[in-house]
Amino acid sequence: MNCHEFWDDLPQKGGDISTAQAAHLAECAACAAQWTPQRALAAGLRSMGEEWRKVEAPPRVEAGLTAAFRAQAGLAARRRLRRAWWTPVFGWAAATAGTIALATVLIHGYQPAPVKPRTVASPRHTVQSPVEMAVLDADSDDDTSALGEGFVRLPNAPRIEPNEDYNVVRVEVPGSAMIDAGISLGEDRAAETVLADVALGPDGTPRAVRLVPDGGTN
Amino acid sequence: MPHYSSQSDDELLFRLRNGDEQAFATLYRRRQGAIYRFAVHMSGSAEVAEDITQEVFLALLREDCGFDPERGTLSGYLFGIARKLVLRGLERGRTDVPLESDSDDAAPRQLAVNDDPLAGLTQREAIEALRRAVQALPRRYREVVVLCDLEEVDYADAAVALGCPIGTVRSRMHRARALLLEKLNQDRKPRVAVDAWKPMRYAI
Repeated sequence: MNCHEFWDDLPQKGGDISTAQAAHLAECAACAAQWTPQRALAAGLRSMGEEWRKVEAPPRVEAGLTAAFRAQAGLAARRRLRRAWWTPVFGWAAATAGTIALATVLIHGYQPAPVKPRTVASPRHTVQSPVEMAVLDADSDDDTSALGEGFVRLPNAPRIEPNEDYNVVRVEVPGSAMIDAGISLGEDRAAETVLADVALGPDGTPRAVRLVPDGGTN
Repeated sequence: MPHYSSQSDDELLFRLRNGDEQAFATLYRRRQGAIYRFAVHMSGSAEVAEDITQEVFLALLREDCGFDPERGTLSGYLFGIARKLVLRGLERGRTDVPLESDSDDAAPRQLAVNDDPLAGLTQREAIEALRRAVQALPRRYREVVVLCDLEEVDYADAAVALGCPIGTVRSRMHRARALLLEKLNQDRKPRVAVDAWKPMRYAI
């Protein structure tokens, strides 16, 4: 260890020197001569530091800073309040709309297969949405006033009352079945398969049927 | 309820940024003393030190205070702000400490050879002599002595506060102690001379 290394490796906060440093002191008179007063100085500075550690800022500094902190925290809270008065409303509205939309999609996407009427075949679509029901309701006629326009009550089936729950199922049925139900369909189409809306009562039995006018696009 | 006293400076800073007054109070009480003492030593004025302490912690309240935990500790950062404020005060002449030249006294003078530069002094006298010696150091040496010796800030934090490499902190410390020893030995000689004159003055 040389002189430069000796002084560079001294512990910052006092304490004992290493064996190598002690060995250097034993063989270097210059460093040994400097080391003794340096050690005394370091001890004196430690004492001074301990003495001074009692000195602190007056309490009024903390009081002033606390007031400043409260003022700033209050301003920040008010800023948040001003910025946020409409934000939760918008957020909740968006979240609610999103939830409804998701629920609608899920209901449609994972709806159980409808009860298959004995008179129809190959069910393709179930109409259950409130919107479609409202459209059907708006097109009601006399016999099936609770249903949409063009519905014909099936023979021996009870009518659907206005306050009664029902489902409408779009199905493919033979033309002959529609003729049997009393729907006017040319004899030449008796052998065809046509699209029909079948109204199912709360018990799942078919109550009424109508021919899909344009052949159905669903 | 968090135990504030056991939380790190960074955790307290995070809490105070979220409006936690207790976190701010804890952090202030933990760090104010060292900042205030540093400012007193560097400015020589309790009044200036009070203002600097307040400014340092007000700076901490600002969202854009610039503290980066990646670059150093909060303690080093606070000392750095205090130092800048001290320097600004020195530039404006608002200080009780004479503006000494910061020149490095190019030719190193002969180092003191007394075994104990504080020998023969009472504890209070020794501390007062040291205080005067520290106060008389050029600013660049005084700040390293105050930080590293009196406040026991480690060299790494001191380097952050002073904006210089650790090696520079070490070399300034070495030089500062040499200057302190020299100053203390100079002070001891007049003291002896004065003591020698006392009986004559009393005799008159």
